[in-house]
Amino acid sequence: MNDRPPTRRAVLGAALALGALPLNGCGGGARTEIRYWNLFGGGDGVLMLKMQDDFRAKNPDIDLEAVTLAWGAPYYTKLAMAAAGGRGPDVAILHLARMPGYPAGHLLDAFDEELMAEVGLRTSQFPPGLLERATVGGRLYALPLDVHPFVMYYNTDLAGKAGLLGADGELAPLTGPDQVAEAFAKAKAVTGRYGLSLDNLDVQPWRLFWGLYRQLDGAMELPPGGTVGIDDAKAIRALEYMRRLTAEGLATEGVDYPGAIASFINGEAAFHWNGGWEVATFTAAGLPYSMTRFPNIFGNGRTAGDSHVFVLPHQRVRDPERTRASYRLIAHMLKTSVTWGSAGHVPAYQPILGTPEYLALKPQSEYRDVTPDVQLDPPAWFSGSGSDFQNQGGAAFQGVLSGELTPEEGLARFKAAVNKLLTTLSPV
Amino acid sequence: MTTTTAPPPATHWATRAWNAAGLIVTAIIALLWLAPLLWAANTAFKPEGETTLIPLTWWSENFTWEAFEKTFIQSNMLRWFLNSTVVAVGVTALVLITAAMAAYGFSRTRFRGKGAVFAFVVAGVMVPPQVLVVPLYDEMLALGLVDTYWAMILPQVAAPVMVFILKKFFDGIPHELEEAARVDGASQWRIFWQVVLPLSRPALAAVGIFTFIFTWNNFFWPFLAVSDPDLMTIPVGLATIQSSYGLRYAQIMASAVLGGLPLLIAYVFFQRNIIRSIAHTGLSGT
Amino acid sequence: MATITAPTPAPATTPAGRRLPPWRRVPAGLLFTLPFLVFYVAFLVWPTLSALYLSFFNESLTGTRGEWVGLANWAEMFGDSAMWASFGNTLYFTLLTTPPLVVLGLVMALLTNRAMPLRWLWRMSFFAPFLLPASVVALIWIWLFQPGFGLVNDTLTRIGLAELGWLTEPELAMVSVAIATVWWTVGFNYLLYLAALQQIPQHLYDAAAIDGAGWWQRLRSVTLPMLRRTTGLVIVLQILASLRVFDQIYLLYQGTGGPGFAARPILEHVYTTAFTNFRFGYASAISTFFFALIVAVSAVQLKLFARKGPDR
Repeated sequence: MNDRPPTRRAVLGAALALGALPLNGCGGGARTEIRYWNLFGGGDGVLMLKMQDDFRAKNPDIDLEAVTLAWGAPYYTKLAMAAAGGRGPDVAILHLARMPGYPAGHLLDAFDEELMAEVGLRTSQFPPGLLERATVGGRLYALPLDVHPFVMYYNTDLAGKAGLLGADGELAPLTGPDQVAEAFAKAKAVTGRYGLSLDNLDVQPWRLFWGLYRQLDGAMELPPGGTVGIDDAKAIRALEYMRRLTAEGLATEGVDYPGAIASFINGEAAFHWNGGWEVATFTAAGLPYSMTRFPNIFGNGRTAGDSHVFVLPHQRVRDPERTRASYRLIAHMLKTSVTWGSAGHVPAYQPILGTPEYLALKPQSEYRDVTPDVQLDPPAWFSGSGSDFQNQGGAAFQGVLSGELTPEEGLARFKAAVNKLLTTLSPV
Repeated sequence: MTTTTAPPPATHWATRAWNAAGLIVTAIIALLWLAPLLWAANTAFKPEGETTLIPLTWWSENFTWEAFEKTFIQSNMLRWFLNSTVVAVGVTALVLITAAMAAYGFSRTRFRGKGAVFAFVVAGVMVPPQVLVVPLYDEMLALGLVDTYWAMILPQVAAPVMVFILKKFFDGIPHELEEAARVDGASQWRIFWQVVLPLSRPALAAVGIFTFIFTWNNFFWPFLAVSDPDLMTIPVGLATIQSSYGLRYAQIMASAVLGGLPLLIAYVFFQRNIIRSIAHTGLSGT
Repeated sequence: MATITAPTPAPATTPAGRRLPPWRRVPAGLLFTLPFLVFYVAFLVWPTLSALYLSFFNESLTGTRGEWVGLANWAEMFGDSAMWASFGNTLYFTLLTTPPLVVLGLVMALLTNRAMPLRWLWRMSFFAPFLLPASVVALIWIWLFQPGFGLVNDTLTRIGLAELGWLTEPELAMVSVAIATVWWTVGFNYLLYLAALQQIPQHLYDAAAIDGAGWWQRLRSVTLPMLRRTTGLVIVLQILASLRVFDQIYLLYQGTGGPGFAARPILEHVYTTAFTNFRFGYASAISTFFFALIVAVSAVQLKLFARKGPDR
């Protein structure tokens, strides 16, 4: 074989790379080393790298080893595994709705308010609703970095042609099921195709359902070993409205995530419902667009979403120096999270929201007051971003959007899937 | 190609018609097979704003390298390429060494229990590695190898089918040559290294080429074994592209083209060897 | 290949009469097989046994050994409709892909095993997709299957047909995967057939030509019979490969299992159970069950593979 010489070198290289992994920055003597895991790729990842570099520059006494792992199920698996063995990173990012899968005290360590105060953080600086979700047994286990709600994008040109903009050039508020549908109908008359571009597949139908169901004040109970507690009448109303949008041809039908993005970019639709994270895509496409909150359809502005939080994975032995350095990292990230806000996430650290730098972020700052209305998944070990629960919800309700299932059938399918998850004992 | 194709028989008009028809059918299928690749490349050269136009066009006034440039800057493509090379070369080298040695042991030496050990190895041909990812992941965790090159390399070395193929080939090598070497006092190791291996180039090439292709393109196991972007191979890294770029199709297609290119280029160089070595190794069952 | 299977054993190497240190007393032959055996036992045999073992525990991701649950995982599996649905999807995929992959591979090989203009180009076109990683294949086909501006739907509209929701209709979800898969992997079978065709002795054709056999008769009386063993091998290898489908489906549907889980194969069910729901024990039970099925099919493969050459 003619590839023999490089072989040996490559294997050696692999060995060296392997050996070099845990070693990082040998010099510097008394520097405190901390490890930080996050799951941010793409545009988010670039911003996070910027914030990390900024931290390193301002904190030369701390040696930050940041690892960006690929988003998805393997991230959660690896984090849980590492924490279970007591050899997890010092700081990690989690979705707040996933926290029940990481038992407090076993996989996560609590935050200490005194240490928080040392770095200038107080619980009063965070949205109370998020902190409540992050508190177990009276102790705080997560500090939120952001919330990322389901929002409404609109094409300013097309919305203008449809007469939907106010005098200030911004979308006139839409309220109530009929007004929203009418606006989509007007937009449809302009585009000739659709009013709203909507991902009908994946987990998006779940997010849409959950926002609408919560606007109707619907509650959901997920008792382990029991059956799902859900208000059928309200769930049906939410599903009927979802079906109305596709049945009347107002929203795209049978379109997946890329398809929904493309039809908004192509001007086939004037509106687009999605998470705030596609800002970079639409800006790159040169689209004239803006964003606003998910509309008030059933009497309030609730919308589905989740929150990236900092957690302290469980350490068998907690070194006070490393812990202090970890708090400093978290404080730095929170206090500079205006950078983070440009990705379309709403910073959770409240003092940021009033700063001119943040307000200058348009259209990202247009929906900054959404935080109290962001609805996380109902708590259970199996729910939250990237979970099987969301996937099951998406699968059940996409049939309703396409008309393949009646709202009743879709709901029944959802309940069956969730009940099955409930019969499974928590593996953590 | 060293082909053994029939010389064109008597130039009968019917034969000619057949040949022409065959050529047309071939060309049509080839066009169908090339179209996806050409379309991907075409998209990659378009400016981002022109990729989703309806109706689509193959021509653009504004063909550009921009998507490739951005992909190079924004993605870890070079790093993935390096990782793929380390893993594929590492696995291929280890497979060639271990499988050839084992095949020699089974084909050319005698020791007690050889039949049983060989049967034990051959049974492994039936084991589907993809089905074993859960216990394998468990094992890697216990060994502390998750998120290392070793986690990707080591499990892929256990390829009993390669031992089987090589043993079959060694069985066919005449014994006279090694008898001569043995008379000269050569050790088993020297006979293996200096007599049998040089005679087995086509078989080793086939095993090497296919191990390399399969390893280079393997997705499932490396995807599980590694989450650190600095360790991702090309297939694993590309799997993160769809979500991480948002939807910039020119850039996505540029990444796809770049990700597929290395092996396609290698193929152009090895085209002749591939078919020949399959034929020589009896891989096709003939 | 006319293999000469004449295992004339080499004489044992130990020069008689010498006392050897203990490690030298291990037979040289065994030493040759040892490096491979280490990898083989550690990374194939051990996980196989470990899967069976884990299937009796409620082992989870936290790394601590779960409790012994006896046959609970197995009982749960046989009543798990999602498992059976994904099992059905896997069989459906195998059924959809095996015939075209075998027939098309043969047709392509027959077409290009003659002297013809631009033969290198045709051969490259057929084989090239096989060299692509699954992620590239998925990225390309997601792009091709898009509504409106996707090449496939655009072509349909141009020839006057209606657009189809290739990736969004539950009924089409697996068909689309099958199309992409045939395009991607037919090159491997094509290559096996091409190599086999080149092994057919020319004199058989000459003899047939003397008998006045036409193209069709030569195909029927010489080529196809000579390819019988290859075909058997290709079919079995193809069934095995199709049963193990995961990569392209996971990537085409971003791990969601496709619309209404219509394209979730059993390996993806294992993956979700283990790595999203963290249930290693239960996932091991499903793995072991599926493993048994594959071993049964593989046994056929082995028989074909191991049979001696000349008798065809």
